[in-house]
Amino acid sequence: MAKEDQGLAIGIDLGTTYSCVAVWRQDHCRVDIIHNDQGHNTTPSFVAFTDQERMIGNAAKNQAATNPQNTVFDAKRLIGRKYSDPVVQKDMMLWPFKVVAGANDKPMITLNYKGKEKQFCAEEISSMVLVKMRQIAEDYLETKVKNAVVTVPAYFNDSQRKSTIDAGTIAGLNIIRIINEPTAAAIAYGLDRRINCAGERNIFIFDLGGGTFDVSILTIKGKIFQVKATAGNTHLGGEDIDNRMVNYFVEKIKKEKKVHISGNPRALRRLRSACERAKRTLSHAVSATIEVDGLFNGIDFCSSITRAKFEEINMELFNQCMETIERCLADAKMEKRSMHDVVLVGGSSRIPKVQELLQDFFERKDLCKSINPDEAVAYGAAVQAALLSVGIKNVPDVVLLDVIPLSLGIETKGDIMSVMIPRNTTIPVKRTLPYGIAYDNQSSVEIVVYEGERTRASENNLLGSFSLSGFPKAPRGHPFDVCFAIDENGILSVSAKEKTTGISNKIIITNDIGRLSTEEIYRMIQKAEEYKAEDKKFLRKAETINKIDYYAYKIKKALENENFSLKLWSEDRKKISSAVTKATELRDGDEQEEEIDVFEDHLEELINLFERFFEESD
Amino acid sequence: MGVNYYDILQVDRDAKDEDLKRAYKRLAMKWHPDKNLTNKEDAESMFKKVSEAYEVLSDPHKRAFFDSTLKARVEPAADAGASGDGGPTRYQNPLPKA
Repeated sequence: MAKEDQGLAIGIDLGTTYSCVAVWRQDHCRVDIIHNDQGHNTTPSFVAFTDQERMIGNAAKNQAATNPQNTVFDAKRLIGRKYSDPVVQKDMMLWPFKVVAGANDKPMITLNYKGKEKQFCAEEISSMVLVKMRQIAEDYLETKVKNAVVTVPAYFNDSQRKSTIDAGTIAGLNIIRIINEPTAAAIAYGLDRRINCAGERNIFIFDLGGGTFDVSILTIKGKIFQVKATAGNTHLGGEDIDNRMVNYFVEKIKKEKKVHISGNPRALRRLRSACERAKRTLSHAVSATIEVDGLFNGIDFCSSITRAKFEEINMELFNQCMETIERCLADAKMEKRSMHDVVLVGGSSRIPKVQELLQDFFERKDLCKSINPDEAVAYGAAVQAALLSVGIKNVPDVVLLDVIPLSLGIETKGDIMSVMIPRNTTIPVKRTLPYGIAYDNQSSVEIVVYEGERTRASENNLLGSFSLSGFPKAPRGHPFDVCFAIDENGILSVSAKEKTTGISNKIIITNDIGRLSTEEIYRMIQKAEEYKAEDKKFLRKAETINKIDYYAYKIKKALENENFSLKLWSEDRKKISSAVTKATELRDGDEQEEEIDVFEDHLEELINLFERFFEESD
Repeated sequence: MGVNYYDILQVDRDAKDEDLKRAYKRLAMKWHPDKNLTNKEDAESMFKKVSEAYEVLSDPHKRAFFDSTLKARVEPAADAGASGDGGPTRYQNPLPKA
């Protein structure tokens, strides 16, 4: 583990419910999807805290039912959003963990760790998942990993993207690029199929995951992957389907058993897990049973749901997907008939009704299921990571031309949004437009930058503002230039210039309202290091206690042998048995009380005793 | 002064849509910052120029307007080509500083 490969970069699909990590193996000319310590290729995006330890991934999800208030998931649904966001308010009602408003309206997750109340922002929780994914990769590659490409939903806005980068920084990763999930999936699909695609191919990516929904239209020709349009919903996915199932059963229980379980997080968590399982079953069977023993007040709940009922309660969500598809085609100015392939990505794309609706929409076209919907995104991210690293061999020669998902513009008189760069414009891009001042005798103007599709500027997402001042008082309409430039990472910089005097000002939109400051990120990195150290300490302590137990057992066994026992001086025997008693006390006592040193010192003593009296007699 | 989008895309004045597309793809591939990891800034600025040229020339209205400014350039320059969309100069009125 000591060697560090500077050039190595991994691809991480940081999902709402599950995450996946992959890497380009230059010696094998292929992408490896990396399995975790449980042998699974995807890892739950869960973090849990108990009185003793912190858990991430499978371990956290597995204990969710017994510790619902301190098990955090769905951080991706909070990241880059404000506490007062109606979406957050609505989600909060369904989460068993507590979310409160922090400074600048930032949502803070509140939970108990080692008996103390702690607060975390979504970036910190995501950073813990990223640390886990990096660990999984490092174990597999047997080397340190520093660089990563992380994917985000194509429809993530600027704040959500930048917060994801912050999460990476807190995790100690160097995020070399944020790429869009459907685009990453397109790379996976395109590379797989490139052999038999001579001309230009239009592909339609349908990505319905655990928490988000994206569609993208790309044309692939030779080495160029060009995104034509993208659309989506950052709050539509398998979780919402589960929610509807849970609500359905909560109502059913209310009617049949006359009990309300909605106030009981543990019962809800267990019901939710059962619903998730039933949902998966319904992708291949026509009905599924839901069974939760001792769900609430000793009631064993047993019920079933048919595929037809499942489709009925979720039809609204499925229809929303179809509307988004039409919007995307309209944006790309393309006919649905001109799509050569329709590719399914994301776990929820397995739902038969979704596939049926999609197939009907594309006039009975066969859907492409050749790529693994859970792994394609990480696969594409790994290819992009290799492309962006200097000195990696055998990387497929492709270039991605991606787009911005939301229009960017400035506020003009009357709260009107004036679009500078329309959505679905290929990046990097630079654009300059002339504007005029609004009133006579103005000597400064305020440039307010927004992102979104609403005509009223203030209803869009505010990215930042700055002023251009100091030019001589001028009549209304006096011209100045505004320039928007977006680099390949999607980072926007805005500048303005008054032509006659040459006075100019600019901002790089990096630290918008609600985003973490450099100091805050630094503090969180420290905090993350502390947690990591505590995790290590916990592990060391657990291992030490195991060893103490082992030696105490060995010594006790040896003492039981009377021949041997009688040979000992009584003083030694006393010493040995008191050491064994202490070992038992340490093992069974409240471990929290004692420092690790106490355990390690005693272990050393035990080992010494063991070696001195017992080893040669074996 | 003024940029000539035909020169940037390295196509003739009578280039067809297909020619433009091919030229754009070739140059985009050549100048994409991801393809020029050691020469990022120059590549990025070239890429932006190529994109702008393609955007104007692939839109019949913008192309017609641009063609008209090209003719005008024989006479003292009309500086319309510098505005990104190639469209008529549009003055809008941002809010005054409060």
